[in-house]
Amino acid sequence: MSTTGDSAQQISGAAESGKECADWQALLERTPYARHLGLEVQRDDAGLVVHMPCREALIGNFMLPALHGGVLGALIELTGRVAAQSQDTETRCPRILDSHINYLRSAQARSTFASAEIVRQGRRTSLVQVTCWQGEKSKPIASGQVQLLLPTMAAKQADLHEQ
Amino acid sequence: MTESNRVQHSDAVTTAWQFTEQVPHGRDLGMQVVSVNGNQVCMRLTPQPWMFAEDNTEEICTSVLYSLADSASGLAVFAEARELSPIATLDLRMDYLRSASGDRALLAVATCRHLTDEVAFIHCNILSEGNRELLATANATFMRNTQGQQFHAGGRGKESA
Repeated sequence: MSTTGDSAQQISGAAESGKECADWQALLERTPYARHLGLEVQRDDAGLVVHMPCREALIGNFMLPALHGGVLGALIELTGRVAAQSQDTETRCPRILDSHINYLRSAQARSTFASAEIVRQGRRTSLVQVTCWQGEKSKPIASGQVQLLLPTMAAKQADLHEQ
Repeated sequence: MTESNRVQHSDAVTTAWQFTEQVPHGRDLGMQVVSVNGNQVCMRLTPQPWMFAEDNTEEICTSVLYSLADSASGLAVFAEARELSPIATLDLRMDYLRSASGDRALLAVATCRHLTDEVAFIHCNILSEGNRELLATANATFMRNTQGQQFHAGGRGKESA
C-alpha cells in the first residue's frame, strides 16, 4: 500500500472517529443532568472516553477533599447508557434497570474519566462495564456494571395504551 | 425538623447531620435531612428540570436517585455508630423499580442493617413524597475508620470562606 493510500485511510478513519465522538456527545446532551455535570466526550488510544471536569458542586467531602460517590455513580450510569444507546441502530433511549458500583480508590477533586465496554448487547437488554480513573488509567478509582432495558415496539405500544 | 428535635440526638449524630447538609454536591442537588431516628435516616430532594433524564420528559435521571441514596446511606452509618470516625463507600447497588416523576419530591429512607468495627451494611428505599410505591432500592457497604480527617461540629473550617 502506498503512503498516499495510508494517509487517505487515516484521514477517513479520523473523520469517522470524530463523528463517533460527536454522536456520543449529542446523545449525552439529550440528558439535562449530563449537561449539568458538564460531561464531555473525548477520544484516547483505546476509544471513546467521557470526561467529567471537576468543580465545587461535585464535592462530597470538603475535608479531604473528595468527589461525592453519587457523582461517580452518575458518570458510570450516563457513560453506560450512552455506550448502549450508540450500539443500538435506532438509538432508542434505554431505561437503566440497575447499577452496581465498586469504589476502588479515593476520588480526588480533579478531572475524572470513564470508558465503557459492552459485556452483552442483546435484543432487549444491554449490560455495560464502565471504568473510571483520574491520573493513570491503570489505577481505576471506581468500576461499575449497568444493566439497561432497550424499549421494544411492544412496550412503546403498551405505554400508549396506558396514556 | 426543628432545632429542638435535634437536641435529642447525640453530638455525633448532630454533627453528621450538619456535615451532610453542608456537602457541596448535596447542596447543589438541594438534599435535606428530614429526620434521624435510631439507625434510620430520612432525606428529601425537590426535583429541578436540570435533573431530568431527557429534555422532552419529566422523568428524573436515575443518577440523582443514586446520589440521594449514597448520601442517606452514609448518614445512616453515623446514626447507628454514634461516632464520627471517617467512612468510605465500598460498593453500592441500585435497583430502579419505577421511573421517578419530576412533579413530586424524592424521599430516601436509609437503614443501617448491621454494623461492626470495620464495616456497615445499609439498605435504602427511594420513594415519591405522598406515595407508598418504591421507586428504587439500594444496598450499600461502607468501610469504617478509614484514613482521613475526622470532621468537627461547625464544619467547613478553612473552606467556609
